Amino acid sequence: MSLHALIIEPFETLAFMRAALVACLALALMNGAIGTLLVLRRMSLDGEVLGHAVMPGAAVGFLYAGPSPLWLSLGGLASGLAVAALGGLITRGGARRDAALVAFYLAALSLGVLLVAWRGSNVDVMRVLFGTVLAIDRRALLEIAAVSSISVLLIAALYRPLAAGAIDPAFLRAVGARAPYGALFSTLVVLALVASFQAFGTLLAVGPMLLPAAAARCWGLGAAVSMVLATGFGLAASVAGLLLSYHVNLPSGPAIVLTAGLLFGSSLAAANVLRRLAPIIGREA
Amino acid sequence: MSRLRFEADRRVILHNVTVRYGRRVALEAVSGEFVAGSLTAVVGANGAGKTTLLAAIAGVVRLAGGVVNCAARHRLAYLPQLAAIDREYPLTVAELIALGGWREFGAFRSPGAALRTRATAVADTVGLAARLQRSIGEISVGELQRALFARLVLQDAAIILLDEPFAAVDAQTVPVLLDQVTRWHREGRTVIAVVHDLDLVRASFPATLVLARRCLAWGTTEMALPALAA
Repeated sequence: MSLHALIIEPFETLAFMRAALVACLALALMNGAIGTLLVLRRMSLDGEVLGHAVMPGAAVGFLYAGPSPLWLSLGGLASGLAVAALGGLITRGGARRDAALVAFYLAALSLGVLLVAWRGSNVDVMRVLFGTVLAIDRRALLEIAAVSSISVLLIAALYRPLAAGAIDPAFLRAVGARAPYGALFSTLVVLALVASFQAFGTLLAVGPMLLPAAAARCWGLGAAVSMVLATGFGLAASVAGLLLSYHVNLPSGPAIVLTAGLLFGSSLAAANVLRRLAPIIGREA
Repeated sequence: MSRLRFEADRRVILHNVTVRYGRRVALEAVSGEFVAGSLTAVVGANGAGKTTLLAAIAGVVRLAGGVVNCAARHRLAYLPQLAAIDREYPLTVAELIALGGWREFGAFRSPGAALRTRATAVADTVGLAARLQRSIGEISVGELQRALFARLVLQDAAIILLDEPFAAVDAQTVPVLLDQVTRWHREGRTVIAVVHDLDLVRASFPATLVLARRCLAWGTTEMALPALAA
C-alpha cells in the first residue's frame, strides 16, 4: 500500500472523513489550551463530571426535537452550566468534594440514558454516549469552529488570571482581582464539551481534551509550551485515530481517544525513562 | 522606596473581634490597636487563634462579632503559611516575584520592563539572583519563602501580615527574611507577624500580642511576653 493510499486517499475520496477531520482538528486547537489549563488547575475530575453533566440536558433536547444538533447542544449547555454552578457551590476541597462530584456524574449519566431510552432506540442511546464523529454535518462543523475560535481567544485573554488563580488563589483575591475567573473557565469547559458532544458523545468528550494535555504535562515544560505540545498531540491523535478507524474498520471516536491514550502512556513512560537516564548521561533533569 | 503618606492609614484597630468556626470559638473579644508603623509579633500556643487573627485583619474570615478598622485594607498584603502555593505549576521564580506588581499591570497585560528590573533587584536583596529562571517546584522551601518575601516587597503594602514566616525555613534564610522585616519597619510600614521562636521575638520585635483565643497581653515585648509563660 502506498503512502498516498494510507494517509491521503481516505480523506480525498470520502466527504464524511474530511468533515470528521476538520471537526477533530478544530476541536484539537481549542482542547490543547483548555485541557492544559484543566490539568494545571487540577480540575481533571471536574472536566470528567462536566462531560457527563451535558447528558441530561441533551436528552431533554432529544425528547423535544429528536436528534437535532441545535437542540442537543442547547439542552447540553443548559444542564452543563447548571452542574458547573452546583459544583462551584461545593468549595470545600478533599474527599467529600470528590464524592459529591462523582455522585453528580453518575446521576447525570443515568438520568440522561433513561430519558433517551424512554423515547428513543438503542442506536440513539449509543449515539449520545459515544458520538458520531463520521456524521458531522455542515451546521455542526460551523458550531465547532465558532466555539473553538472563541475559546482560543478567551483563553489568550484570560490566561494570566487563570494561571495566578491556580497557583495562589488567595493572592489573586488579595490584590483585588475579584472577577469570577473560575466560573468563567468552567463555562468555557462546558462550551468546549458541548462542542465535542456530537463528535465524541458524553462518555468520550473529555478524552480529546484531557489526554493530549496530560501527555504534554509529562514532559515538565512551561505552560505555553505545554499548550502547544498538547495541541500537537491532539492533532496527531485525530489524524491517526481517523486513519486507524478507516483502515481497520473501528469506531472512529473511540479510535481517536485510544490513540490519545497511547500518546499519554508513552509520554509517561518516556519521560520516566529520561528522568532516570538524566544522571547517567550527566544532564540535569 | 515608597513614601507612606497618611498616619491614620496604617493603623489597625480591633474592637471586640470574635470569630467562630461552627460552635468552636477561635477568637474571643480581642480589642486593641496596632499603631501605625509598628512591628508586632503575635505569639501563643497552637490553636490560640493566631492565624485566625491575621485572617480577620485581612478580611478573609467572617467575624461573629466586633469590628476590624483598617483604613488601608486596599494596601494590605497577607502572606499565609506555605501550603497555599501550588508548586507543581510551571512558573519561574522571576514570574512568581513579578506577580507582586499585579496591581500595576493587571489581569490583561504583562509585567513591564521597569517592573521586571525591580523584581530582579529585589530578588538580589533576598539572595535569589541565581535562582530567577528556576521553576518554583525545583527550589527549596527557604528559597520559596524568600521569593514570596520578594513578591511582598513589590506589592508595596502599607500593612503587612506574615503567618509563621520563619517556620520550616533553613537557618541561612531566617536572617535574610528578618532583615527584610526590619527594612519594612524602618520604611514605616505596619508589620504583624505570627512567630514561634521567642528568642527571635525578644531580639527583633518591639511589640508583642499574646493570644490564647482571648488577648492575654499586648504591649512592648518586654512587658507582654511574660504573660505567655503564666
